[in-house]
Amino acid sequence: MYAVSTMAMNHRVLLREITGMEAPRFVPEREFSYDGGMPEPGNILALARGVLMAAGLDGAHGIGRPQPDGRVVIQRQDLITPRRLTYIPAERKVTVERMIYSTPQFLERFHRRRGFQHAYWLDNVWAVTVDLVIAALILWVLTGLWMWWELKVTRPLGALALAGGLAVFLWFVFNV
Amino acid sequence: MKFHHINRRTHLYLALALLPWFLIYGVSSIPFSHPRWMGDRYEKDGIPQWTVKYEKPFDLPMTQPGRQREAGESILRGENIGGAFGVMLQGTKVVVFQHTFLTAMRLTYDSGKKTLTVEERRFRWDHFLTGMHARGGFEQASLADDLWAVIVDLVCLGMIVWIASGLIMWWNLRSVRRSGWAAIVTGLALFLFATMRL
Repeated sequence: MYAVSTMAMNHRVLLREITGMEAPRFVPEREFSYDGGMPEPGNILALARGVLMAAGLDGAHGIGRPQPDGRVVIQRQDLITPRRLTYIPAERKVTVERMIYSTPQFLERFHRRRGFQHAYWLDNVWAVTVDLVIAALILWVLTGLWMWWELKVTRPLGALALAGGLAVFLWFVFNV
Repeated sequence: MKFHHINRRTHLYLALALLPWFLIYGVSSIPFSHPRWMGDRYEKDGIPQWTVKYEKPFDLPMTQPGRQREAGESILRGENIGGAFGVMLQGTKVVVFQHTFLTAMRLTYDSGKKTLTVEERRFRWDHFLTGMHARGGFEQASLADDLWAVIVDLVCLGMIVWIASGLIMWWNLRSVRRSGWAAIVTGLALFLFATMRL
C-alpha cells in the first residue's frame, strides 16, 4: 500500500487530470436538528465532539475556526468515506456531507494517516502499526545486509549494486 | 539458470541497489509519526528557524491568483537562485519557498512595501528527513527533479517486486509455510479491519 500510494502521489497531477478531481468533492448526505449553543474558545472541542456523537460519527476529526456567524465545520476523518459536518447555531442544525470516493485521494489519505494525535484507541493502534512498519523497514535493511554478507558468492556483485545505489543517492542529496 | 535462482538474486541485488531509499524512507517516517520528538528539541534551543540574509527594494507586476508560479520563477531568476520551489500568495505578499535536500530559502515579496526579503532556514535533521521523504512529483522544471521522481517510481516498483519475490521464496520454504500463513493472515486481518474502521 505504501508503494502504490507513493506512486499515486508521485503522479498526482496526471491522476487529477485523468480523474477530473482537482480537489475533494462533497455531496449532501443528511441534516438534523442540534442545539449546542454558540461556539466559544473554551468549548469548541466539546461542541465538535457533541455534534459528532449526535450524528453517530464519533471518531478522529479536525475542526475549522468558527465563522463570524458561529458556524463550525468539522472534518471527520475516514479512510474510505470522509465526511464534513457543518454546525449552524443560528438554525440549530447540522448538515452532513460525504466525500465522493476517488482512488488517488483514498491512497493519499491512507499514506498520510499516522501519529498519536487523536484520542481514539483505533487511531493509536494504527499509529503503533505504523511504528512497527518503520522498525520492520530498518530491520529488513540490516538483516538483508547480514544475509547478503553471508552469501560469499554474491559479495562482489552485491557490493557493486550497493555502491551504485549509494553513489546515485548521495549525488542527489548533495546536488538537488 | 533456474527461475528460483533468478528470483533470489533479483530479490537480493534489487534490495542492495535500492537500500539507501528503503533505509531513508524507514528512518524519515519517524519524524512524521512522532513530530514532537525532534521538533521540540530544536524549538527549545533558542536558535531562530529563519535568518534574514538580505532585504532590498523590489518591484514585481501585480500577481494574479493562479499565476503565482510565474511570479515565483521571476523572483528566483532575479536573485540567481535555482532549484525546486513552491509559491504562496498571502494577502499582499508573494512567498517563494525554494528548497534542496539540505537547504531552504524563503523569498518574500511585499507588494505594499515594494521590498524583497530573502531568508535562509537553519539545517535541522527532522526537516532533512521529512524533506527526503516527501520529495517527488514531476511538477518542477529541472531535469534532476524529474530524475528523482523517476527514481521514486523505481523504488516503488522495487518494493512491489521485493514483496512478490519474497512471497515466492517463502512458498519454497515448506518448513515455514504454516507460520508464514499465520503472519500474513494476521497482518491482512488487522490491515483490513483498520481500513474499514479508521
